[in-house]
Amino acid sequence: MEQQKKILVANRGEIALRIIRAIQELGHVAVAIYETPDSEALHIRTADEAIHIGDGPRCDYLNIEKVVAAAKKSKADAVHPGYGFLAENPDFAKACEEAGIAFIGPKSEVIQSLGDKVTARRIMKDAGIPMVPGTQNLPAGDAGMEEALAFASKYGYPIMLKATAGGGGRGIRRVENEKQLRAELPAARSEAMAAFNSDNVYIEKVVINPKHVEVQIIADNHGNVVHLGTRDCSIQRRNQKLVEIAPSLIKDQDLLDSICDTAVKAATAANYTNAGTVEFLVDKDMNYFFMEINTRLQVEHTVTEMVTGIDIVRTQIKLAFGKPLAFGQDDVQLRGHAIEMRINAEDPQNNFMPEGGKTVSVYRSPGGYGVRLDGFVYQGFTIPEVYDSLLVKLTVHGFSWNETVDRLRRCLSNYVIVGPKTTVPFYLNLVSDPDFKRGDFDTSFLETHTHLLDYTEGSNEGNKLARLIAEIHHKKENPYAI
Amino acid sequence: MERIVHGMEVSKAIKILRGREENGYYVTNTARDLSQSDFKNRILLHTDLLAAPSREKANYFSLEITGGASIHVDILRKQVDPFLKLELLREKMPNTMFQTLCRGINLFGYRPYPQNVIRYVVSEFAKYVDVWRVFDFMNHVPNMQAVFEEVQKAGKILEPCICFSTGPEHTNEYYVKKVGELQDVTGDEIILCIKNHGGLGTPKRIGELVDAIMQKYPEMVIHYHGHNTDGNDVGRIEAAVLNGAAIVDAADHEFTGYYGPAPILSVVHTLKDHGKVAIGLDEEAVMETSEVLRDERPHYEFFESQFKGFDPTVQVHKLPGGATGSSFEQAVKGGFLDKMPEILKDELPKVQKELGNYWSVTPGSQILWTTAVSNVQGGDRYGNCSGDLKNLLLGKYGPFPFYSPPDWIYEKAFGSDWKAILEKDGGMDEIEDMDIEQERKALAEKIGVEPTDQQLVTYLQHPVDAVNFFKFEEKFGRTYVLPPAIFFRTGGFKLGETLNFRDHEGKEHVIEIGPQQKNEDAEWNVYLNVDHHQRVYVFEDEAASAAGTAKVPELSKQEIEALAKDGDIRAPFGANVYEISVKVGDEVAVGDPLVVLEAMKMQTPVESPVAGKVEEISASVGDAAKPGVKLLRIAKAE
Repeated sequence: MEQQKKILVANRGEIALRIIRAIQELGHVAVAIYETPDSEALHIRTADEAIHIGDGPRCDYLNIEKVVAAAKKSKADAVHPGYGFLAENPDFAKACEEAGIAFIGPKSEVIQSLGDKVTARRIMKDAGIPMVPGTQNLPAGDAGMEEALAFASKYGYPIMLKATAGGGGRGIRRVENEKQLRAELPAARSEAMAAFNSDNVYIEKVVINPKHVEVQIIADNHGNVVHLGTRDCSIQRRNQKLVEIAPSLIKDQDLLDSICDTAVKAATAANYTNAGTVEFLVDKDMNYFFMEINTRLQVEHTVTEMVTGIDIVRTQIKLAFGKPLAFGQDDVQLRGHAIEMRINAEDPQNNFMPEGGKTVSVYRSPGGYGVRLDGFVYQGFTIPEVYDSLLVKLTVHGFSWNETVDRLRRCLSNYVIVGPKTTVPFYLNLVSDPDFKRGDFDTSFLETHTHLLDYTEGSNEGNKLARLIAEIHHKKENPYAI
Repeated sequence: MERIVHGMEVSKAIKILRGREENGYYVTNTARDLSQSDFKNRILLHTDLLAAPSREKANYFSLEITGGASIHVDILRKQVDPFLKLELLREKMPNTMFQTLCRGINLFGYRPYPQNVIRYVVSEFAKYVDVWRVFDFMNHVPNMQAVFEEVQKAGKILEPCICFSTGPEHTNEYYVKKVGELQDVTGDEIILCIKNHGGLGTPKRIGELVDAIMQKYPEMVIHYHGHNTDGNDVGRIEAAVLNGAAIVDAADHEFTGYYGPAPILSVVHTLKDHGKVAIGLDEEAVMETSEVLRDERPHYEFFESQFKGFDPTVQVHKLPGGATGSSFEQAVKGGFLDKMPEILKDELPKVQKELGNYWSVTPGSQILWTTAVSNVQGGDRYGNCSGDLKNLLLGKYGPFPFYSPPDWIYEKAFGSDWKAILEKDGGMDEIEDMDIEQERKALAEKIGVEPTDQQLVTYLQHPVDAVNFFKFEEKFGRTYVLPPAIFFRTGGFKLGETLNFRDHEGKEHVIEIGPQQKNEDAEWNVYLNVDHHQRVYVFEDEAASAAGTAKVPELSKQEIEALAKDGDIRAPFGANVYEISVKVGDEVAVGDPLVVLEAMKMQTPVESPVAGKVEEISASVGDAAKPGVKLLRIAKAE
């Protein structure tokens, strides 16, 4: 029997639950933290202990001092940061290290260097990793603008303005021409300053309509680095991933092997430890370019878990306590396909506007073979207005791609969520799309398939008639007949 | 004997009618007339479909199932497409001829339509309707001519009417002459209808009229139509048939009331004793229909007149069919129930006489009724003439049949220079043709799809109500599948009540009524289990919305942009207010940043669409602004 440890989960939502489950399965003690608006949230009720860290919203979960104080107060041996909030904040990792608490993730200096996109690019370039053409941090003022214009004239538009400290789709602007570049550069700087407390930005050439392919890597403190195969996250909305699949459907296995090897090489070059993700863009001609390394657990880690059978979070915890990896690269076998969809309380037909404040009055979820749900929602749950609108991640696993898509469609149509609008009807349209079924998609998928947003909820005759019956019932007479 | 069926050539049908055995007559089931007279036209297609198999078996000459006011009520209150109704009934009744009632130039409405609209509407309905009963409340033949021509062109049976009333002018000579006028226009391959919409006159009077027409036109096929308001239409029908009428109107006894047609079987039994035979009629099937309908009638109670009992005084006030019942209801609503004896016994007969003793039927009956009420209510007789009455006086509906109203009424209506006005504006107007293709485009724009010919026909007659109906159908589907027990339910359903029905495509549905509760936005959530799936339907709380609680106005993108051009800057999408770049009093130029919004982790500046001065700032940093929320206001520079 291992020694029982106490682990603080520095997050909320479905990922807090996901981590708490792994902690409890290992026989450790899970400590939750919460801001006042989360007073009734599921992660507190599931954890073994919970600590209130402030009224929030969204500031206390981001407050390093408060979170570290909570960890100390609870005598936690380790902290798992989840994704978002402080997950990729090197200062947080450092504060944990200094407090003698194990940070479940890479070392703070690794987070620091990989989080700085320009440093990361330099490390990768030195290691011989293929890169999208780009600049270093642009100098301030007119010099920066001049360098940007020079880069654009050499490589051509479109280009991307990226916040050096950004990530997860944040702080990215696409620029189509010189006029736009002149206007957007100062805006990008001020946005970066506001969001990441650093106005450093750099430029990358835009790879037109690439596939987004990423590799899950996992490394112990003893120099072992393995990859857990690829994921395709090409279906995105404004750089936010909506649908993630594992493994990539690219047919050229040699190419995928090469991408995975490159990812291991990149992680090794960065002295990476614990779980991380190396992201690549793959263009039409099957060239691939390093994009960035995410130094945290990804939302979409579930699809990799489904096809490898490896519990990534459980592994993360063990590695953080200094254990060596229990498996080598040859032990990692991919079996079948997995797809994950983020079921959000959003109205896809209204620019994916969040449905914050609405209450889920009925919640019935699908189940059965090959179905996994990582949710935070329950019947009676009110969508918070101050946090994100993710209700549940639906992950399905199947032997073949077609079987997996069939299962996904079945699961989506089994969902009953009454109250907020959700992304379910949009996804139902999406999974019936011939291109999707063929596995033929890249990052332009949503732009080229806008008709998928054209659905009518409850458009069948029974639902229409039921609407009239509801009105006759509510108004106590048929207002269209009297 | 050969049955007259749907699809038969007109000449053949008329030949069979003329060659019928001497003791034979036919029966028309006037379901539409019954619905209109006794149930405010609300008998649903659902009920008619239930009755369809036995009605088909009963072997009627025809089923009167469309026309009159029913087409308007179909779309306005029954939410059923009048064409779909005929199609669905035809599926269940392959042989029975369908009959309509058409108001000539006024079609199925209340005012004259342009000629090209009349022809288009008639030609579309003629695809479904076999027998066309056509009348004009002034018995003015030219008012019916366009309809006559289209019906004959479509190869359907034409049944022109002589409207019947009583009084010194209403002689057999007059009506026989009128029949001649009709025949001059239609030729003799017609059925002649004696339209006794008030149920006026005695059996003897009707018998003599039929006889007088038969004397002059021995080959004439006469169809007698009457109402049972005084309780004696069976007597009039009996007299009509004994004097040679070929077809008579009656209705299913289970639904007969006080103002509509007499019961079929009472007619059949009465005539049987004279040795007269209802040709082909299956009496068992007639009884079966009423057995089927028995369970349905209670659901229509709301639409029946609350004033029960036959009304022999109809012989004095002459109001047709359901107008008697609805006149009392208007009196209750208008608070003049105490004046009703005066209106019905004294004023209405007086007005009829003064206005030329024409026929009290749509739209003429409405003019008589409103004038009588206004005369009694206002105190000053003819002091407040309606527009329709003025049109009547000017001869817009056609010439007065017997004599014109007295000069003093004209003076009351038009003032002292009434003669000049009558000279200038008198007589029927030439109604300009409508640009039908233009109307088709207008309709397409309103409903967002290319309309069918049938939709266009409905729209041409009732532009506003037709569009509302098309939108209703889009939203609620084909609701004719709902029985009256659901469609007309009042007081709500019981918790846990289960409703079963089959939709237009034939799919079975089961709906279970769940609870309803107010949500946090003061809206009502109504829960239903629809085919075993729980669903919620949200209704605004009427009390709350009436009180004008602060709700964000729902503005479209276009509306938000239009407001912005006036300096009223609204949030163009849902976002957090990240920064306010201006302060009150600042001068701004077009394109200057006003506010920075943040949504989906992206900052978007809102730029000024106008030049001017910032007048007011309603938003503050950190606000979660829903689309359409006021951000700030700019006074536009001159």
